[in-house]
Amino acid sequence: MPTTPSFIARIVVLSLFAALPCFAMAAGDPPAVGDATTTADQNQIVVPEVTRRDIEPPQFPSNDFDVGAYFGTYSTQNFGASGVVGLRMGYNITEDFFVQGVLARTKVSDKNYRQILPGGVFPTETERLSYYNLSAGYNLLPGEVFVGTRYAMPFHFYLLAGVGSTRLDNQKHATVNFGSGMRLFFTDRFSMQVDARDHVFSMDLLGKRERTQNLEFTVGLTASFF
Amino acid sequence: MIKTAFKLLFIFSFWLMTLCSLAARAADVVDDPTALVREQDPGQRLQVTDPYLEMHTGAGRAYPVFFVVPRGQGVWILLRHTDWYKVLTEEGKQGWVNRDQLATTLTASGAQKTFRDLMLDDYLNRKVQLGAAWGEFKNEPMLKIFTSYRLSETLSVEGTLGQVQGVFSGTNIWHINIISEPWSDQRISPFFGIGLGKFSNLPNQSLVGAAPTNAQLGDATFGVRYYLNDRFILRADYSIYTAFVSSQRSIEYRAATAGISFFF
Repeated sequence: MPTTPSFIARIVVLSLFAALPCFAMAAGDPPAVGDATTTADQNQIVVPEVTRRDIEPPQFPSNDFDVGAYFGTYSTQNFGASGVVGLRMGYNITEDFFVQGVLARTKVSDKNYRQILPGGVFPTETERLSYYNLSAGYNLLPGEVFVGTRYAMPFHFYLLAGVGSTRLDNQKHATVNFGSGMRLFFTDRFSMQVDARDHVFSMDLLGKRERTQNLEFTVGLTASFF
Repeated sequence: MIKTAFKLLFIFSFWLMTLCSLAARAADVVDDPTALVREQDPGQRLQVTDPYLEMHTGAGRAYPVFFVVPRGQGVWILLRHTDWYKVLTEEGKQGWVNRDQLATTLTASGAQKTFRDLMLDDYLNRKVQLGAAWGEFKNEPMLKIFTSYRLSETLSVEGTLGQVQGVFSGTNIWHINIISEPWSDQRISPFFGIGLGKFSNLPNQSLVGAAPTNAQLGDATFGVRYYLNDRFILRADYSIYTAFVSSQRSIEYRAATAGISFFF
């Protein structure tokens, strides 16, 4: 194992290397502007008096960012299903791709195990499970749905997959999630999302380490802004 | 009892909000289409200089074209969604137009404010990046999420959140790096970084008597970015991590990851 001083020395050397190109660029910069203006003042006969026009660049409102809340059912493998609530934040990169971050919590109960194992699996009968993830999505089937003859609303079927972490019984588990969903836009700023996902992570609560599939089905409302 | 009431309230408010949005949708369909036109600022009116604008029913290439605005007509821009602009015509029609078709459209006064400038400005000014990468950390799989802010052309700050899921223990790390990217105008651009952060290792529950480790972390990184287009970047990096476990001891790890990121 290397000792700390040698590592610090290495970091210093590395950072010097990293900074080298910056020094090189600074050296290559044109001479200071001050010299040029003094010579110009001496030689200039006509001093232009151009008033600067104030240009107001158009600022268009946009709705690339999403914020939403959702609820539904989260089924923990071996422990049954229970209600889940979550918050969602998203950003639409292009018309096809988006990214989405999610923070949610549900409950896991070992009630069924307590009938035969008096101690149970968890310290208390009901444990909180919380998870976060960051996913990338693709709007696979964009289209419109029709309500009667007057209204047509934009509608997407999307696929998404991502990575994150699940916390259960003070253990964190690296989690992969994938799934698909549907999004219906009531207006330009409000939409409803129906989402089905599988959260895959490994845990060893029941003695053996095994990969678990945890299915989730949610309905949510999303507001788009910026 | 209170919990149940809270849940019912939550579900009730959810459906109430849904109904409200639907009502807002119904209100969108106005009987007098020119009412919205009269509300618009005449100074923000744009004149169509392309042969025509194709108006789509939604913000996407696949939505059907339902109206065409000829050259010389005036339009207003109401909203932007990714590369699509919601446009209002003088007759009060609303539709979505792609940025490419608005590239040379001028303001009413004929001022040189074009969308092409805006696009180029956007690209050169893009500062905030978000991405994810996957790789190996001491022969165990590593996932990380990173975000960076460009301070100047060659210098940026990057925050990373990573996790390593090993067979016997899980490790979480975070660190903040200063990144130097000397050739940031090149399509393939190497970068160097150093940073500090935290390291925490949590043994799996099945290991008896193993204690969690929390330590300060130092890291040095070298990597390459490949700019796919104006929004997406591929990257690969190699990092040396040192966890300062105690004043007497440090542990060194090496990690290599590859990932994708995008500019906001």
